[in-house]
Amino acid sequence: MDAALLEQMLLGSLLALSVYLPLRCGQLSLATPGFYAVGGYVAALLSTGVAAFAGSGATSPLPALVAEMVLGGMLAGLIALAIGGPVLRLRGIYLAIATIALVEILRVLNLNLPFTGGAMGIFGIPQPFAHAGGYVLFTLALLALACWLCQRLEAMRLGRAMAAIRDDELAAASVGIDTPRTKLIAFVASAVLAGITGALAAHFFNSWNARAGSFDASITTLAFVVFGGSRFWLGPVLGGLALTALPELLRPVGDLRLILFGAVILLGPLFFPQGLVTAERLRWLAALLRLGRKRGHQAPQAP
Amino acid sequence: MDLLQILVNGLSVGAVYGLFALGYTLVFSVLGVINFAHGAVFTLGAYFTYLLIGGAVGANGLLAGFQLPFALPFWGALPLAGLGAALVALLVERVAFRPLRRRRADPLLALITSLGAGVILVNLIQLLVGAESYAIPTGALGGLPASFPLLGARVRTVQALLLGIAVLLLALLTLWLEGSRNGKGLQAVAEDPETAQLLGIDSTAMVRLAFGLSGFLAGVAGGLVGLSVSIAGPYFGIGYGLKGLAVLVLGGLGSVPGAVLGGLIVGLAEAFVPADWSGYKDAVSYGFLFLVLLLRPRGLLGRPLPTKV
Repeated sequence: MDAALLEQMLLGSLLALSVYLPLRCGQLSLATPGFYAVGGYVAALLSTGVAAFAGSGATSPLPALVAEMVLGGMLAGLIALAIGGPVLRLRGIYLAIATIALVEILRVLNLNLPFTGGAMGIFGIPQPFAHAGGYVLFTLALLALACWLCQRLEAMRLGRAMAAIRDDELAAASVGIDTPRTKLIAFVASAVLAGITGALAAHFFNSWNARAGSFDASITTLAFVVFGGSRFWLGPVLGGLALTALPELLRPVGDLRLILFGAVILLGPLFFPQGLVTAERLRWLAALLRLGRKRGHQAPQAP
Repeated sequence: MDLLQILVNGLSVGAVYGLFALGYTLVFSVLGVINFAHGAVFTLGAYFTYLLIGGAVGANGLLAGFQLPFALPFWGALPLAGLGAALVALLVERVAFRPLRRRRADPLLALITSLGAGVILVNLIQLLVGAESYAIPTGALGGLPASFPLLGARVRTVQALLLGIAVLLLALLTLWLEGSRNGKGLQAVAEDPETAQLLGIDSTAMVRLAFGLSGFLAGVAGGLVGLSVSIAGPYFGIGYGLKGLAVLVLGGLGSVPGAVLGGLIVGLAEAFVPADWSGYKDAVSYGFLFLVLLLRPRGLLGRPLPTKV
């Protein structure tokens, strides 16, 4: 497998985690691609327009990349903070539609603002890494950090509050959980992660345009989570890896590729309504691992 | 451009949005979910119309050069294309919605499965007839002139047709919903599927009916748009699909007159966007949608949202 595909798969996983965070407290937000696009534009504009970020020639310094990711994440987070209050009062399908509208508004702005390069977008974004392998290692570290934070969340008060809201919002509010604040934190965290991912992706793809954040992407990233399972962070990570790779792996079938991709999206939820990673399968996996370890201990004693 | 011309343009585009949103709203009212394959069914309606009036497939795609052995006048082709689209919508219900309902799965999964069905349809179109654009010749309208004067403005015949057919279909649909047994049954299922079932109404049949009607409306709208602005390729329904979503919420989810009113409002608002700002035209409907969701989440003509405890 080539490093470029692996990098795209890792980026897919990060976006899937961004969709997973609001879902973890029961909020179906499809805004991730919008924030992803915003983060990408921040990186693209800074690294092609500001000397301090641009570096020399075609390469740009690594600290500049990190700074762009922080700034991209911050801008996405600020937008989420500004609109989150009123938008998160909506529930279910209404929230989903409102976030689709947000993605479309951002797309139209990205297409028409005087400094975003119109339909062609921004070209020649400098590369902090000489090879795709560098991106893969860097993104792997970022993904590991994101997964670790999600795992930490399970044990934290905030994570438990989010789970309580997902199971029953009214009951959660009645035991003293500040539901609007918790939902807003999840929404902003999702936006920050998408913005950071966008800033990284803009460098990797070398150019950035308004197509980065579209309605299609909204549903594809949601499919990552639905496929992997929305109960545990491992689900979206696996879903993002698998579904990003799928269209590329299907390339040999040529024109039938996207038809088969559609069939997978259509059939997946029918056969795995809970996604691939469920609590049951995780327990099963844990039991299997324990069994394996015991066998490992016993092995030296066997004749 | 003078005011009347802008009004005519806006109303005819709005009529298409309205027809489109009507299909969404019928399915939403019985199932409570959005059918994301609706845009693809609309696109199919346009291609069906093109083929039925005797149009030939271009050089790309598996069906290159294919042409039906007969050519219908536009009047005959449009309802037939609607029927074809209705059949496809029934198929979408069969593969993407019914299995989920039978398993009592989370209805939100239908967002994904219906989009999967849409992706399949759009790419199937591309595989069969290629990605090029097709134009339905205005000559298809027979002896009708291409445009006629009205109170000093030039009105394209197609524009008047769009508006006329949308209003006619809305009127028929309203009459049918209020006056027929099946129409009442559909409303009952929209209210509460389980109670309706207990009262002897076949919910599954009603859901199928809603999908069939929504497909027919989408197919007719697709044919009319194909006649008015040409078929821009397999993906041309997606933009309408997203606008239709905005219109749906603006009018009120599940409200039939709301869908048409919302369509006309969005169409008019877009027509009044000055030419210098035309790039931002596509954001108008979503801006409206945002305002409505924040100020009046039930939409203009929707009923109050139920609060369940």
